[in-house]
Amino acid sequence: MNQFGSVGLIAALAFAVYGAVAGALGGKFRSVKITRSAERAALAFGVMITLAVLALEYLILSDDFHNGYVAAHSNRALPLYYKVPVLWSGQEGSLLFWTWLLALYGAGVVWMNRRTNRQLMPYVVSILMGTGVFFSWLVLRVANPFTELALEGPNGALAAFTAPDGNGLNPSLQYPSMVIHPPMLYLGYVGMVVPFAFAMAALLTKQLGDNWIRTTRRWTMVPWMFLGAGIVLGGNWAYEVLGWGGYWAWDPVENASLLPWLAGTAFLHSVMIQEKRGMLKVWNIVLVISLFFLSIFGTFLTRSGIVSSIHAFAQSDIGPYFAVFLGIILTFSLTLLFLRLEYLKSENRLDSVVSRESGFLFNNWVLLAAVFAVLWGTIFPIVSKAVENSTVTVGPPFFNRFMIPIGLILLFLTGAGPLLAWRKTSFRSIRRSFTAPLILAGTTGLILLVKGVRDLYPWMTIFLCAFVAGSIGQEFYKGARTRQRAFGENFLQAMYNLTLRNTRRYGGYVIHIGVVLLFVGFVGQAFRTEARATMEEGDLLRVKDYVLRCTSLSAGENANYEYVRAALAVVKGGYALGTLEPERRLFKASQEMLSHVALHSTLAEDLYVVLAGQDQQTNKAIIQVFINPLVAWVWIGGAVLFLGTLLALVPSRVERELAHLRQQQEEAAEVIDGRSPGEN
Amino acid sequence: MWGRMAGRARSKRTCATLSARKTMQSRTSFLFLIVALGCGWIAPASAADNQPTVDSISKALICQCGGCNFPVGTCNHEQCFSRDQMKAMAAKEIAAGKSQATIMQDFVLQYGVKVLAAPPARGFNIMVWTLPALAVVTGLVLVVILVRRWRELPAEKPGPWAGRTDAKWLEAVDEEMERLGLDR
Repeated sequence: MNQFGSVGLIAALAFAVYGAVAGALGGKFRSVKITRSAERAALAFGVMITLAVLALEYLILSDDFHNGYVAAHSNRALPLYYKVPVLWSGQEGSLLFWTWLLALYGAGVVWMNRRTNRQLMPYVVSILMGTGVFFSWLVLRVANPFTELALEGPNGALAAFTAPDGNGLNPSLQYPSMVIHPPMLYLGYVGMVVPFAFAMAALLTKQLGDNWIRTTRRWTMVPWMFLGAGIVLGGNWAYEVLGWGGYWAWDPVENASLLPWLAGTAFLHSVMIQEKRGMLKVWNIVLVISLFFLSIFGTFLTRSGIVSSIHAFAQSDIGPYFAVFLGIILTFSLTLLFLRLEYLKSENRLDSVVSRESGFLFNNWVLLAAVFAVLWGTIFPIVSKAVENSTVTVGPPFFNRFMIPIGLILLFLTGAGPLLAWRKTSFRSIRRSFTAPLILAGTTGLILLVKGVRDLYPWMTIFLCAFVAGSIGQEFYKGARTRQRAFGENFLQAMYNLTLRNTRRYGGYVIHIGVVLLFVGFVGQAFRTEARATMEEGDLLRVKDYVLRCTSLSAGENANYEYVRAALAVVKGGYALGTLEPERRLFKASQEMLSHVALHSTLAEDLYVVLAGQDQQTNKAIIQVFINPLVAWVWIGGAVLFLGTLLALVPSRVERELAHLRQQQEEAAEVIDGRSPGEN
Repeated sequence: MWGRMAGRARSKRTCATLSARKTMQSRTSFLFLIVALGCGWIAPASAADNQPTVDSISKALICQCGGCNFPVGTCNHEQCFSRDQMKAMAAKEIAAGKSQATIMQDFVLQYGVKVLAAPPARGFNIMVWTLPALAVVTGLVLVVILVRRWRELPAEKPGPWAGRTDAKWLEAVDEEMERLGLDR
């Protein structure tokens, strides 16, 4: 099976090389045949990588410890549902997984554009397959997951060796959300190659009209959605596994995932200005380039080991290869952009400073400021080491100093942007649109003051959340009321039809609601309570209005790990909430210790209990308790963000009608040119 | 007469120059205000005058266990020698009546500057604080320049309805687009 996997990789590399070259030639000579063969090569690349992935999964599931990767990352006692994710738990496997997702995206792009974007497709395939060449070569030559174990004999000859059992999966990865968190994140990172490919193809063919930007927007939303989901799931994993009571620590690897997400958010807003007004053309290309660059940069940071991180569990010496690849991306794309500047002139003027366009411009300014602050804070330790040979840490105090005010400005724009009209917003219109949201925000602010919330940032956050909720609610209400008057629909029916009529706009509003919920969750961190105590059976611990009584301390084991467990009966306000059972687990294969947090979660707050260890002097259990208000809203906000993006991806009735018309026009033009429809 | 006109033109020019200077001055002052506010916002808060607590010190220091890279307050490693040692040292120095700044200095002497959760705004490290603020201000200036340039572009050709649009008419269009579910 190892040979089978390796052959699959070799064939995939060959198809990728062919696809990249044939795509470029097909574009250069405008040859339908060569382009079609490049597209078939992209599909064959997908098939070959899929076979390699299946081969590795087979080796993992069959406990084949002759394979070095399986021996290093799996073991016999590992439950089946944790064996599948072994594929992406180590360097070699995760790079193969990366390449596989790239192949799936490639196949998807080829299939969905079999009749559209025909002039762009040769170069799109060429760039996708060019990236495929890099990754499949990396998997084949630098980090091959099909390496077999061998022992050196007394005469220096190598003999095949099969380990009796494996080292096991990293304990911190043995958690449900970790099964889906990396695939989501990778789908986000990898998918950013598609908008990049379309942007480069548009530059190469000088086809810089509406088509590429419409296609790119949709292909950016998909990875942006997965990246967002991956970030939230990663936060959930950190919260429930790392046991320090929080979900975001401004760790370099966390930051690396945030960077393309922020840049993607900027692009998804600025692209609307280009679609509606033909402006910001250069800027949008720059954003697409930075999206792809930051995605690869994130992978480079995670894997090269140049920054220390709790999440960087797959480090090796592949950093230089990524550095070269990043250099190639930048040189190629920026040179091409420079050569095509004359085709990217703005088509329109700005009619008024008070307009949707200006709102998006400021939104881009703030988002890019956030990207810069996070990027600079993340790489500064490396810069400082290189310049001054001094080791410094850039941690939460730095990031909070910049990102909290930036986040608040963004939150304001989230609410204000939809209230501004394209081209020009009159003062009367501003007064009419802003009044209700501001009244809601003001009332909320007053209630908070009465309730004793005096800290500026938490107060401001809730105030702005109310403003944004008011503004989005008003948009839905106004739209539905207008439909009610026009078509006599009931309110819910009107809301439903309104949303389906323009899924992009109302999906966007749902995303904004998700952002509000996320901020509501973030603000809870300001009101966190923490306690730490040593306990034995019968001991009580009071934290705020919770009382925890230790009912038992027990130990046990299963095939995978040994554990110590504390049982704590929880009472709040005289009501028994049940028993929480935090554990401390020692994983047998890796001999690594890990906490298993016990949670009592409500919409208002989480009671978060950690068995932090055993006191050496008293032999009592060390119990750490956090009361984290509003955390559940972070996960709900993340889910709403995901659903809102899905909704925005559904083609609206208007879009479907327009797409149908466009396709008819294209086919008619092709018939007039003497070509059969679908050919370029 | 020519003399009077020339005089008037001169005084007009002087007025224009004065007004341009005033605009320039007010712009410069505005920029200074932004930079000053930015610097005030970004400069790491001095905790020298605050009463130090183990909690406030734990948040500002990175645990030196080498495994977590977390602030001391959030390191949850079992029997973390570094976290416990650092917390004990902080408690001891607080009991000795030292200020937060002095205590932080003692930690830097013992572990090096890497112990601080964020580098002090001194020497080369000042770059970590100033560059993002500078980027924010530069970005704002660029946005303003872009907006001005866009405003100066020639207007689109006037349509048949040019000059006949008023706010009421535009609002009616807005409502109609809303009804159809189109973006305004």
